[in-house]
Amino acid sequence: MTVRTPARTAVTGRTSAPRKAGRFWTARRRDHLVGYLFVAPQLIGSVIFVLVPLGMVVWYSLNEWNVLAGTFDFVGADNYRRLAEDPKLPSVLTASALFSAGLVAVNLTLALLLAVLLNQRLRGTAVFRTLFFSPVVVSLVAWTIVWGFLLQKNGGINGLLSVVGVTGPNWLRTGGGAMFSVIMVQVFKNVGLNMVLFLAALQDVPASVYEAARIDGAGAWRRFRSITVPLISPTLLLTSIITVVGSLQVFAQIAVLTQGGPGTSTTVLVYYLYQQAFQFHQFGYGSALAVLLFAIVLVLTLLQWRLRRRWVFHEA
Amino acid sequence: MRRKTVLYGLLCVLCVPFVFPTWWMVTSSLKPVGQIFASPPSLFPSGIDAGAYRQVFTLQPFARQYVNSLYIAAVVTIGTMAVSSLAGYAFARIRFRGANALFFVILVGLLIPSEVTIVPLFQMFHRWGLINTHWPLILVPIFGAPSVLATFIMRQFFLVLPKELEEAAQVDGLGRLATFWRIALPLARPALGAVAIFTFLQSWNLYLEPIVYLSSPERFTLPQALTQYVDAYGGPMWNVQLAAASLTAVPVIIVFVIAQRQFIEGLAHTGLK
Amino acid sequence: MKITRLLSLGLAILLGLAACGGGGSGKDKGEVSLRMTIWTNNADHLKLFNGIADEYRRTHPNVASIRFDPLPVETYSTALTTQIAGGNPPDLAWILENTAPDFVASHALLPLDDKLKKYPGYQYGDLAAGPTRLWRQDGSLYAYPFSTSPFGVFVNTDLLKKAGQKPPAAGWTWDQAIASASAVHQRTGKAGLVVRDFDYKAWDNLATVWGGWGAEAWSEDGKTCGFTKPQMVQAMTFLHKAIFDQKAMPGPGTSPDFFAGDAAMTITQISRAALLKGAKFHWDLVPLPAGPNGAYNVIGQGGLGVLKNGKHADAAADFLAFFTDPANSAKLAQYFPPPRTSLLTADALAKSNPLLKPDQLQKVVLDGIANGRVKPNHTGEAEIAQTVRAALDPLWRPGADVPKVMASVCGSVQPLLAK
Repeated sequence: MTVRTPARTAVTGRTSAPRKAGRFWTARRRDHLVGYLFVAPQLIGSVIFVLVPLGMVVWYSLNEWNVLAGTFDFVGADNYRRLAEDPKLPSVLTASALFSAGLVAVNLTLALLLAVLLNQRLRGTAVFRTLFFSPVVVSLVAWTIVWGFLLQKNGGINGLLSVVGVTGPNWLRTGGGAMFSVIMVQVFKNVGLNMVLFLAALQDVPASVYEAARIDGAGAWRRFRSITVPLISPTLLLTSIITVVGSLQVFAQIAVLTQGGPGTSTTVLVYYLYQQAFQFHQFGYGSALAVLLFAIVLVLTLLQWRLRRRWVFHEA
Repeated sequence: MRRKTVLYGLLCVLCVPFVFPTWWMVTSSLKPVGQIFASPPSLFPSGIDAGAYRQVFTLQPFARQYVNSLYIAAVVTIGTMAVSSLAGYAFARIRFRGANALFFVILVGLLIPSEVTIVPLFQMFHRWGLINTHWPLILVPIFGAPSVLATFIMRQFFLVLPKELEEAAQVDGLGRLATFWRIALPLARPALGAVAIFTFLQSWNLYLEPIVYLSSPERFTLPQALTQYVDAYGGPMWNVQLAAASLTAVPVIIVFVIAQRQFIEGLAHTGLK
Repeated sequence: MKITRLLSLGLAILLGLAACGGGGSGKDKGEVSLRMTIWTNNADHLKLFNGIADEYRRTHPNVASIRFDPLPVETYSTALTTQIAGGNPPDLAWILENTAPDFVASHALLPLDDKLKKYPGYQYGDLAAGPTRLWRQDGSLYAYPFSTSPFGVFVNTDLLKKAGQKPPAAGWTWDQAIASASAVHQRTGKAGLVVRDFDYKAWDNLATVWGGWGAEAWSEDGKTCGFTKPQMVQAMTFLHKAIFDQKAMPGPGTSPDFFAGDAAMTITQISRAALLKGAKFHWDLVPLPAGPNGAYNVIGQGGLGVLKNGKHADAAADFLAFFTDPANSAKLAQYFPPPRTSLLTADALAKSNPLLKPDQLQKVVLDGIANGRVKPNHTGEAEIAQTVRAALDPLWRPGADVPKVMASVCGSVQPLLAK
């Protein structure tokens, strides 16, 4: 990357190349050009569909746009002032935090549990692996709609529970129940992905390490904690980053299952943003919320990346 | 032996929330509406009533919507494979000035939930006259934030792929493009497979974007269409909705079960481990 | 090598598909094609509309096509506004009564008076003043209220008989209604009374209940919250008791359907009578029960307007005039009670509503239209509706503190009303 003098490039240039490079188009320069050309689609796409819109979000957040009347007015920091004073925002942020924390905790725990179970030397694990993974390929909205039926007061879940003599709650109509339901529906949908990644990581842990530990008298839990977890920590880190960022984007599940209710108990930031922008048509305020969302994701990712040093045993 | 029984029991119990919804969806779609909320839930329909499946197609241009979803997902998958393998290869293999800075610029996309930029994107496509067309659902995933993860996966893969074959090819006089196309890309099959699966599922599941961009039923995608089986003046259409949901889910599940090995192992190759 | 060939093939398909995937907007050259967004997907309704459209096109060759775009009613207003925001407004649109103030006040609609007055044979003077009030501003009519549909109570008389209850008649009261409903639930296990489409979310449908107490969501000028008024608190207390103590109405999270025979009574608009074609039970239609404040009526309205920014606003207005002229109004009347005085007689309505008896039409429809209050509506409707829904949610559980919930409703909605 530091080579600049054409003379030196000419000396090291590949003489075996059939087409001799012109004086300007040295092999090195041609390589640069190819590099730029290869990344160009992604780069231009990122500029048009990511960076420019990101800048525009900031600009919109300083304006108010009335769709029906067709007006677009500069309002300065009004939308941010509103953000600071919005009485609903604390509950929205709480719901987002609850959802993300719950989702990440349950998802990673269950994924790890399933991966460990499937990593036992048992016949038929491939079948179970397929079953646990199958919701991943079911369309998200179809999955959510079905759970919407199952979670009704007289729906399938409570029906199943009544078979075992338990009276189930009215899942989607109580604050805690609704949040729990939304989390679990999302976990069951996607835990298969993390499970597969964990399983691949587990299979890379050499059996000899376990043998040695067993000889040293370490119990199963001890082996799991002191060997398995550290050895798969890079995977744990990456999956947790992806799961956290993903949890902040959850929309379809909320829109289909609870519409943010009951009360505002499942109105997470993304859903609130959608409501403000596309239901109430306050695109300016919606944009201010989007800026907030971006800031949160940025901070969380940086934090996790920081933690990596303390947390991760070795780099893959 | 006891350990095995416990393990199997545990696996079976854990299976229920993963399998029951799909089973219930398919069987209930064949039940008459009145039986859907029978308690306790019946595992089998008492008699098969395929009427709901007919209604799926009469109430909405469902076949057209199916084609929409399929072709959009296919185009997005192929496009993303092309864009991300090129960029991933370049970032892993070619040393060009500013590569690191450019990689960082692209990585920003990984951090942006699509909801953040949906308003300006909506306005951009509005300005270009592309609202209520499929362009936003195709262009943004291929070139925008959603493909960044794919580029990342491809780069990670090429980084750990041995260079020898490519170097030999270059010594033989193959240019960069030819080396990429004829040597590197075929070797990257596992990673490409993972990217393809990821991308296809992501596009197939897209919900916010279609409901924001599309407004005429014959342009709808499946997830959006599924939520439209409610009618102001009709009775509840639970069985129709479930029939439509089954129609979207079952074919994909079948494909998955047939190819589950490649599928799951492909995903394990994302380089995310 | 296979994979490279696959990729290049794929790229070719990609380019080809993408090229044809986006087409479709703005195809008409000189020829007019009209699009009307509606919220019904009923096959009979659509057949009627398409029939009228075909007839119109026969005499107007410049109109190449008229398309009816059904959007689900739950998300109708959101979808419509998004289409407008996206620069893809329909030429004509149905507008729900609750968003009427938004549409009328923003001047997004074309004033219709001139067009309708000049249209041959339209009989503009025939339009009744009451039903058009919501759709006027500064003397101009911004949308034609094609449907002014009173709420009534459909009754499954078989189910009532089975529970040993007398069928209700005009002049019945809420106490009687709830007592019968409660008995039905107790003796048959089926649901008693269902406020249709409410589903513990669309609270504006509860206006059909609290009207009996003389309560209202907000004051006439729309500036003051009405949920803490004593009438409202009493009405909501009554409703809460009916749901959770007397079990006369199904609780949240269950969805019994009257038209499938799962409930004894349902409050809904008479346009739903169409669902009773071929019903497997005996039924009746009666006016809303009287509350402590006496008899009352509630109507829901649908307006039909022309979007000012549509591509063919003038042609759309012309079609609107045809669609709602006396002859076509009479046809539409079998599903949608029209605002025309000449058609608002029991005999005229009976001709187009074979399912309903003249007596039912007189008591529910005509009396309803004559003195019905329109369901709650306000500018900024979407946000107000969401805010009230969220604040009302704590009410829908046993043992809720009604006055406290009502206070919180007003606490959160008052700032929006005052805007």
